[in-house]
Amino acid sequence: MIQALLYKEYIKTRAAYALLAALLWGICIYLSLNVHRIAGIKGAAHLWEVAISRDAIFVQWLKFVPLIAGILAGVAQFVPEMVQKRLKLTLHLPCSCTASAGTMLTYGAAALSAIYAVDFLILNIALGKVFAEEIVSRILMTALPWHLAGVTAYLLTAWVILEPAWKVRVFNMGISALLIRLFFLSDTPEAYNRFIPILAITAAVTASFPFISVDRFKAGRE
Amino acid sequence: MTLSICHMRIHDRHSSPLVRTARCLLAVLCLLLAAWVLPWLYRFATAGKQDTPFALYSHITGGFAFAGRSGGQARYYGADGQEFSESAFDSILPFFYFRQLTADGRFPDSISGVAVTPYDVQRSNFTFRTTPQECNRKGVPLYPLLESRSGRVDLTMPDDVFRMERRMEFIDMGSNSVNEDKSRAFTSMLEKKGFAFPPSLIAGNGTARKEYDNGYMMTDAAGKLYNVRMQAGRPYVRPIAMPDGVCPAHMAVTEFRARDMLAFLFDTQGRFWVLTSEYDMMQVEIPPFYPERMSMVIIGNMFDWTIRVVADDGEHLYAVDAQTLERIGTYTFPQPEPSVAERIGKYLLPVKLTFLSAKDRDVYPRFSFFSE
Repeated sequence: MIQALLYKEYIKTRAAYALLAALLWGICIYLSLNVHRIAGIKGAAHLWEVAISRDAIFVQWLKFVPLIAGILAGVAQFVPEMVQKRLKLTLHLPCSCTASAGTMLTYGAAALSAIYAVDFLILNIALGKVFAEEIVSRILMTALPWHLAGVTAYLLTAWVILEPAWKVRVFNMGISALLIRLFFLSDTPEAYNRFIPILAITAAVTASFPFISVDRFKAGRE
Repeated sequence: MTLSICHMRIHDRHSSPLVRTARCLLAVLCLLLAAWVLPWLYRFATAGKQDTPFALYSHITGGFAFAGRSGGQARYYGADGQEFSESAFDSILPFFYFRQLTADGRFPDSISGVAVTPYDVQRSNFTFRTTPQECNRKGVPLYPLLESRSGRVDLTMPDDVFRMERRMEFIDMGSNSVNEDKSRAFTSMLEKKGFAFPPSLIAGNGTARKEYDNGYMMTDAAGKLYNVRMQAGRPYVRPIAMPDGVCPAHMAVTEFRARDMLAFLFDTQGRFWVLTSEYDMMQVEIPPFYPERMSMVIIGNMFDWTIRVVADDGEHLYAVDAQTLERIGTYTFPQPEPSVAERIGKYLLPVKLTFLSAKDRDVYPRFSFFSE
């Protein structure tokens, strides 16, 4: 049953995830090529200098892209369930609601995390050719909270969309906005290093929220 | 929050343990968000304006002189309450306003019997600033080492940077590869001078926007102090003797125009030391200063330094003699009384959660209880 559910999610979201992957990887490749292009024109020393003395990280454009990707992934996966009234059917499959909803969420979070992991791989390989490991690690550690925000945004989007009552949905949106704001409080490179473990726990905690919405949906709240 | 928790309660009896746990976690998260957002909104709505006047020690009057605003008008006055006109204020601070005095033809030939020219003043004046944010900043641990004896007026940035771990390793920026010869030369010179890797502190100004280069001040794994430079492409390493019990916690290479100092050092006991160009250490006679949580601005001239310290207990001014570094003046700005809104806020919102601080650039949760 779980396999069938995973296959259903794959059929439903493959186009959306392919587009999101293309968008994210495309931006990472573009940013990496741009660094190589500037290194070719102005010399790598110029880039090193601005990275060391002016806190430049060269991937600032990527900042909100994982967040947008997370929200879009949630919308692509859960809006059809709600609009086409499919969630009711899913929750009546011969397995527990927790297992059904859990499978859907795990699928989405895992797919998104895989796309994000490739982001890091692209940046690590491409930037590692130009910069020393200290600069590359600084760039990747700065980009890590942005990607954590993406996974959290996906889970919160699921929480909001699966909620059956509009009033509670608006409340959920407010809480989600505040939680997401936490991931974007500072532009300073590596400012989040101490906070990342707590943010990861927060992301894990938000994974439980969609189950509240599913429970309320099942109870017929409106 | 109330709305959601009410909805939660209705179904609690029928919900699975996972959903009940999720509701508890949501409630805790809502409380934490409230502890963050509500004090912020309260501060935003009730924040007042605080102005501290500009202040300098006047060698002419022998006291502090202040420039502030009162009733929309500029006001110039001394610590004893004596009022000054704007031009009189320029005259009592000739080292700070020397350009204005020179333009007006009012710059004196001598001050306290010492013949001075605007050039002398320009050469001996310096400004130094340290803030907790800058002090606690975690930069990239790669450092450019400039040529200290290039023989050229303008400094140029090198093609490589160094990292200090188990050895001093130079990385060529163009090829992103280690320059083994240079790394070996510097590492062996450091080891020859007794340097124990890895270093515990590294301080320097890795920029070409300065008049000359004094390299880096480093403390090694044993806490010993060294000056490391590159002179004519070769390593220059100088061990520096420190008074007993001095363990530097923060350092700053000065590179001021006068060239009479090498660095400022702040030790673990809050003592402020000046390392002179003769490698002597002189203590500045001010109360303990900890740069990781206090800020300091020094405006110095050939006769005295005005040191402004901002700490948790308020703003303090110290004047020290430029030759002996002994204290010649102290002033503490009166602490503003907390406003009614601040006093009420302390009890209205007893728990405050913030993620940012004026003392560093890190983002992480910081709780405070019953604070204004």
